[in-house]
Amino acid sequence: MSEPTTDRTEATPGAEPDFLTVRGLHAGYGQARVLQGLDFRVARGEVCAILGPNGAGKTTTLRALCGMVRGRGSVTLNGTELLGRSPEQTARIGVAHVPEGRGTFNDLTVEENLRVGAHLRTGPRRRGRAERAAVAADLERIHDYFPRLRQRSRQAAGSLSGGEQQMLAIGRALMLRPSLLLLDEPSLGLAPLVTRELFEIIRAVNEEEGTTVVVVEQNAQLALGIAHRAHVLEAGRLVLSGPAAQIREDGQVAEVYLGVSVRSRKAG
Amino acid sequence: MSTITAALGSDRARRLRAALTGLLAAAAAVGAPFYFAPFQVFQLTMVLLYAVALAGLNLLVGFGGQISLGHGAFFAAGAYTAAVMLDRYDTGHLATLPVAAAGCFVLGLGFGVPALRLRGLYLALVTLSFAVFLPPLLKRLQSVTGGSMGLTVDKLEPPAWSGLAEDQWMYFAVLAVTAVVLLLARNLLRSRVGRALLAVRDNESAAEVMGVRLSLHKTLAFAWSAMFAGVAGCLYTWVIGFVSPDSFSFVLSITLLAGLVVGGLASLYGPLLGAAFVMYVPSVSQDVSEAAPGVVFGLLIIAVMFAAPTGLAGLPGRVRGALARRATRAATLDRTPGAPSAPGANPKSLAEPGPAAVLTPAEPAAVDADPVGAPPRTEKE
Repeated sequence: MSEPTTDRTEATPGAEPDFLTVRGLHAGYGQARVLQGLDFRVARGEVCAILGPNGAGKTTTLRALCGMVRGRGSVTLNGTELLGRSPEQTARIGVAHVPEGRGTFNDLTVEENLRVGAHLRTGPRRRGRAERAAVAADLERIHDYFPRLRQRSRQAAGSLSGGEQQMLAIGRALMLRPSLLLLDEPSLGLAPLVTRELFEIIRAVNEEEGTTVVVVEQNAQLALGIAHRAHVLEAGRLVLSGPAAQIREDGQVAEVYLGVSVRSRKAG
Repeated sequence: MSTITAALGSDRARRLRAALTGLLAAAAAVGAPFYFAPFQVFQLTMVLLYAVALAGLNLLVGFGGQISLGHGAFFAAGAYTAAVMLDRYDTGHLATLPVAAAGCFVLGLGFGVPALRLRGLYLALVTLSFAVFLPPLLKRLQSVTGGSMGLTVDKLEPPAWSGLAEDQWMYFAVLAVTAVVLLLARNLLRSRVGRALLAVRDNESAAEVMGVRLSLHKTLAFAWSAMFAGVAGCLYTWVIGFVSPDSFSFVLSITLLAGLVVGGLASLYGPLLGAAFVMYVPSVSQDVSEAAPGVVFGLLIIAVMFAAPTGLAGLPGRVRGALARRATRAATLDRTPGAPSAPGANPKSLAEPGPAAVLTPAEPAAVDADPVGAPPRTEKE
């Protein structure tokens, strides 16, 4: 297992440090309060990893950001408040969420899945030729990132492998031309090789498109490999925040909170 | 690039085949009334008419993933709209069609609202209540609807220039409307709205995250679906020339749903098969057992669902799949384990593991994917 080579902390795009601002975020399901007040910021163009053990509230954080779960506090994207909006409304603002377990539309073909991603861009008032050409160009671009999707364009999404479905889910989200991409456990249930490939693509998307990414991961190693900054969640609170490289170096922290032995992996 | 050109090539072949099949079907449909006896032509007309209603129900149930036990009521609404217009205002047949369609569309919008909050059995109950209360209501509004005596109106008369008999003329009129409606349904499903509808059925929350407005699309599905049922009802009045509350009891709603399921949910030609089932099976079961045609009808439904869980429309695919599986099994038995299987053994290369599946043998999705038995994309065939 070779470590991802570049240290991205140095390259932190610091132009707009307050692109995504989360203040005092509380959220939960019914009686169960999961998030107990989160504060963090994500700069424009940054990859932010949210790490932590099972049940810490990682997925809930993403769901609160995109509106799937109601939250209290404040979440602003480029100055626009996101809390209190439905997922459909946050999607209009530019938030694309790739849900846990991928959520591809299995009876639709791969291409149709991608076109659903462009749903908002092809609305009744935007049926111009220019917009259609832009969607076609984006399809092409996503096929370039994920060549396998091109091969399987006419296949039902349900017949894809898990890795391909994850690629499709990310590609579909990119069709939205999001300014903020939320990825919920992209490595879930995937073989290590596929996961590695996937994270390389996520990194490429971030670098080439400048899309801001918040990624929730169990696999801290992988996430820290592509992230600029990382936050560690435990029981609904942030227990550690900092540049990804620093968190990676801090072997003890990693062992305590992430349940991985960073040093031994590095040595080996 | 080569894959793209290959895809285009197969696309053209498929289109050619579809055009040929369509042409043949059209020729058969046009020729039928000159070949069959008047009563049989009438039966075919009824099949086409029911197919319109089932196509509408299919939009809602098959593609929208919702349920309605009240479509008989939309059918009745369309039929009565046409009958009242013909009876009181003498508008002529053609004018009744757009009015019935628009009226039922609006009615469907209204019923789409409870569909936003309810699902499954609850939605079924609410729609069923509509089907149950409409016939008594029609009986009450005697001054307009003729009460329980119903209304007798003029059937569609063939114009002199056509030289056609009445049954033939009605057949062609209904055929034209049915063709337009089925094409409309097909195009609707391939449009942005249709994709959104299917996406909502497959995964509601994922669709919403993509910016699909759930409420809008669910309500619209109801409205479109009700409109189709209303058009079918209007055609019914044209063909039968008589409406009464008892023609549209809630049994009609249930028959429509049963017909759709038997014909094949989420399939474009399933409604036609289902309509034929609804039309012919009761008379066949009457022949089998005069005492209890209902029992025979029910047993036949069970038999179809047992043999073809995806409906009659899915039957050819299932048979093909079973044959392919048998062929693959025979081929693998023939050779030593571990050797690559012959390329011809599996004609549907869908099941062939791609490079990703090789890389990720532990992925459950790759193993579970059974493209043969599942109903996806039948409308593309």
